[in-house]
Amino acid sequence: MVARVWSLMRFLIKGSVAGGAVYLVYDQELLGPSDKSEAALRKAEEVVPPAMYQFSQYVCQQTGLEMPQLPAPPKINFPNFRESWNSGIISVMAALSVAPSKAREYSKEGWDYVKEHSK
Amino acid sequence: MSESEFGKKWDRCMADAVVKLATGFGLGVVFSLTFFKRRMWPLAFGSGVGLGMAYSNCQHDFQAPYLLHGKYVKEQ
Repeated sequence: MVARVWSLMRFLIKGSVAGGAVYLVYDQELLGPSDKSEAALRKAEEVVPPAMYQFSQYVCQQTGLEMPQLPAPPKINFPNFRESWNSGIISVMAALSVAPSKAREYSKEGWDYVKEHSK
Repeated sequence: MSESEFGKKWDRCMADAVVKLATGFGLGVVFSLTFFKRRMWPLAFGSGVGLGMAYSNCQHDFQAPYLLHGKYVKEQ
């Protein structure tokens, strides 16, 4: 009897957790049109870092530990994706175009170094 | 379509893909932990569904640049 009640309770708890997650996704329209999910991403960017900071401050106060200064989290911003992609392609192509002459230069330097030290 | 509009659509597509992938993965994690005994397939399925929805949104966005979105206003 107790085992049955316990298994029912477990099922209800799991069901409510899963149902809550599904409802949260539905409410925030995370799987909806692209402008809604972009707005959700902006909102998360604004809300999450201060919340993390406050939580870390609370943990420090409760435990008395000193938290080291972590570097700032990277911004998940896509305003200049096209420009950054284009500049990345340009840098890669420029590196490939100077690669043979640079390789020749470095191998010459290495050969001269070896010759000097083998005397 | 102008260059800046094209760039904005790409930016929106990337942001949408990130959000939908994370959402699908998160839902997969929840269902894997609650109902499917910590198997891997709900995570893969959820991520796949999220990515597929993002791809479909992007495709619609790029293929229908002249589609106007209107609202139906009831007659008073």
